[in-house]
Amino acid sequence: MKKIIFAISFLSLLTLVAPSTFAQCDADEFAEACIPNLKDGFNFVKSYSIDGEGGSKTKVEYSYVFAKGTQYFISICSGAEETDGIVVSLYDSTRKLVSTSDANGKLYSAIGYPCNATGIYYIQFTFKGSTNHCGGAVLGFKR
Amino acid sequence: MRNLCFCLVVLSLYACGPNKNAAEQAILDSVDSIAVETPEISEDVIADIIQQIPSPLEISVLLKESGSAYDNSILNPDDMVSNYNNNYSKALNMGIYGTDLGYTNIYKENQDALGYIGSIRDLADGLNIGQFFDFSTIRKLATNSNNLDSLLLITTKNFNKINAYLQDQKRSNLSILLLTGGWLEALHITCQVYQKNPDNVVLKEKIGEQKIILEQIQLLLSLYESDPNIKGLSAKLKDLQQVFDQIEITTTYAESTFQEVDGVLMIVDNSTSSINITDKNVADITSITAAIRNNIIN
Repeated sequence: MKKIIFAISFLSLLTLVAPSTFAQCDADEFAEACIPNLKDGFNFVKSYSIDGEGGSKTKVEYSYVFAKGTQYFISICSGAEETDGIVVSLYDSTRKLVSTSDANGKLYSAIGYPCNATGIYYIQFTFKGSTNHCGGAVLGFKR
Repeated sequence: MRNLCFCLVVLSLYACGPNKNAAEQAILDSVDSIAVETPEISEDVIADIIQQIPSPLEISVLLKESGSAYDNSILNPDDMVSNYNNNYSKALNMGIYGTDLGYTNIYKENQDALGYIGSIRDLADGLNIGQFFDFSTIRKLATNSNNLDSLLLITTKNFNKINAYLQDQKRSNLSILLLTGGWLEALHITCQVYQKNPDNVVLKEKIGEQKIILEQIQLLLSLYESDPNIKGLSAKLKDLQQVFDQIEITTTYAESTFQEVDGVLMIVDNSTSSINITDKNVADITSITAAIRNNIIN
């Protein structure tokens, strides 16, 4: 009986501890803090949470309909220096890579996209040597 | 044995922790006028589709930058709230008022914005989502045109939060109605403005582009067709979809390039898309949209 009690207690402890590990990533807070990073003239439309769950998730993806003639701006924020290895990549509706912030041998914290072709685009966040696997991003637009 | 029981109780209590208590659940159940069966598709997939619908603000900005004058006669008057008596009607019209508020904000029409803020507050309270609006702050911001950027930001953030909350509460059907109402109003406003500016090719193409959004909205509505209200709305939108089906959107793909500008990676998009939409298509979309909208707002 003691063994059963120990096993159940251990399991309950694990259950209590496990979510708190992920709770350390306050991705919503990073996303909120990122709003002022939008360049002048851009209107805020969406914020994105980037929670890599301590490294167990390799990518976090969102989608949005981008419109021809509109400029979009995506800014990444993290608690660490720069982007903490968070990379944003943009794919078009056929899943062809449009561009990525991992370019010129560095990771850019913001990308701008003047859209020429209306359609659904996929905004994919991945981690490259990230420490916290946690951050936020915002999407803005202007004509 | 007592210890074992205690552990089981602790475990079961913990498992129930993040869920709503019975009273809260009862309130939530009561606010939905019609019991809606949860669709078989996962909430995550629904959330993915919902969040890809563009903000109606994009259209309001386009209208202002196209030089068209502010015209509140094309909006839903802000004193219609008492007509909206069930959650279906409240959610759709809250979406409509959300777009109208964005339109008044973009044109810096503070007095009109205040009226829409009041209407949205009443509908939000009726849907038990009033907690997302700090109306005293919003009202203060709205009385000073210098604060309109902040007002726009707050209202956009609030609508995003409401959508997330409704999805979390398994009330995505209301979230979809909010989006549908907002989209329909944006389409209506664009059509009305285009009627006065028939040479504006950008507006005409913007109307044609809505084919992509309508497909996503119809996909979302189809998941809730066990709700007769949503089924009826979807049937009406099918009339609209038949016209949009005649519109061709062609994309020519070309690899993009990029350059660094002020520390930002600027993508140079070499792909293009063209929209083949006739005057007859626009006229049909304008009249069908107006009919569907009138049925919702009256």
